[in-house]
Amino acid sequence: MFKRMNMTHDKSTSPIIEISRLTKGFGTGRRKNQAVDNISITIARGEVFGFLGPNGAGKSTTIKLLLGFLKPDSGSLGILGKIVGQDEFRHRIGYLSEFPFFYDHLTARETLRLSGRLSGMSKQAMNQRIPMLLERMNLANAADRRVGGFSKGMKQRLGMANALVHDPEVLIFDEPMSGLDPVGRHQIKKLIAELKQEGKTIFFSSHILSDIEALCDRIGIINKGVLLYSGGLEEFLAAGVGLEERFVSLIEEDNRASVA
Amino acid sequence: MQALRNIWFLALATCTEGVRHRALWAIVCLAVLLTMANLGVTTLYSWDLGKVSVEFGLSAVAFTGLLLVFFLGMKILADDLERSRIFMLLSRPVSIWQYLTGKFLGLAMILLLATIILGISSALSMQYVLWQYPIYVPPNFSWLTYLMAIVCQYMSLVVVLAVSVLCFSFASQPFVALLLAVSSYLVGQNMELLRRVVVENPYAGALTGQKNLVIALSWLFPNLSLFDKKYVAAYGMAFSSQEFLLLCLYGISYSALLIFLATLLFKRKELA
Repeated sequence: MFKRMNMTHDKSTSPIIEISRLTKGFGTGRRKNQAVDNISITIARGEVFGFLGPNGAGKSTTIKLLLGFLKPDSGSLGILGKIVGQDEFRHRIGYLSEFPFFYDHLTARETLRLSGRLSGMSKQAMNQRIPMLLERMNLANAADRRVGGFSKGMKQRLGMANALVHDPEVLIFDEPMSGLDPVGRHQIKKLIAELKQEGKTIFFSSHILSDIEALCDRIGIINKGVLLYSGGLEEFLAAGVGLEERFVSLIEEDNRASVA
Repeated sequence: MQALRNIWFLALATCTEGVRHRALWAIVCLAVLLTMANLGVTTLYSWDLGKVSVEFGLSAVAFTGLLLVFFLGMKILADDLERSRIFMLLSRPVSIWQYLTGKFLGLAMILLLATIILGISSALSMQYVLWQYPIYVPPNFSWLTYLMAIVCQYMSLVVVLAVSVLCFSFASQPFVALLLAVSSYLVGQNMELLRRVVVENPYAGALTGQKNLVIALSWLFPNLSLFDKKYVAAYGMAFSSQEFLLLCLYGISYSALLIFLATLLFKRKELA
């Protein structure tokens, strides 16, 4: 454990993802909802960072800000040393959204080819990588079937293949296990563990605490847009209580404080 | 170079998605039946059968094109936002202008395919009517003018499509975008008439004295009536290649301008 913590500390000297004093609200005046309030997170190379929080806490908003889909009210975001919103970095990241939707009438293979082409991959590279990914995601038999007929689990696995098609250095997953059956969850969990072994930097949000516990080096806990904790998983669990218990008590404490 | 490649790949994916959509073929089948109805409708008239046939055929192409733009085109655009499909594309190194241009070109390719199918089916039905009633063939009828009228019809649909993309880029809801696009189409169809009424008629009712406003609006909205060459084709009237080229140039440049504006507006949109 000590060794891993030490390693994490060394890595943090060159952050791959850097979120600094990020604030984002929706609406105006009295109706303004502060979705993200002054959060700062740093993720080092090769780290698996779990982003935890209840529904509506601001996890997806943070991810959308990180990818440049939303513009921050204040603060800054950086990925791989590039400034989000100014520099191009998207060919080096892979993203899986919470509800991956594709073109219903394209096949799985065509979907991956489209993503590969848009990421600037050569035909040769795609011909090598796409069959391998389809195989890895157990989609080889459905490669030439239209995506519209896929089950939720198949779409999620295709979404994962889509995020990995161009072999990115950084992976950003928004609730990658959401809505999956136990087998599907297990497959995705296994894949994330393999990607971790390959040295990929992974930032993912999840509700499923056991997955976070099994996969993450560090975690961030967000509630009502405020980052309540960011640091090592072991440190968070230092008191010897389980992640679920500790997480729930932290959220409840924060909710009580905000009501008072 | 990668920018052009991105646009082409997005256009191709949009076109493939549209071509495999059942709605496209339902509309095209309906339109083919409509053009074939030409054979029955024309016989209801006792004179000018050739002109009726040509106008009916071209109207069927225009009507179907509008159905495709407003229903299939807007649906494909709206689905990208409503079903968060846009995130799959914009998480790649694709800029907003590449995305919108790719989408626009893909939909324009679908329209082109539909126009070719409908143009051929309406030409076949017209040919039958003209062959059955040779006495009613307009004296200067030319298939070349018919083809030019079809191209103008297509250009008009491309402009309406660009208006739809513009509305989609800033409207908060797809339904609002559809409403705005249909309204713009109606204004565009009648703007020239309104301009002429106000400019040439000193008794233009509530719009008397609003000449400058109407002229300004006529510059702002697309002048879709310019592309309507049904009458010219039906009566075998002169249609110079210069006018044809100018119309095409107008359609392309107006559409390009709208896509540029759509890009500026879409950049301000929050993809929540």
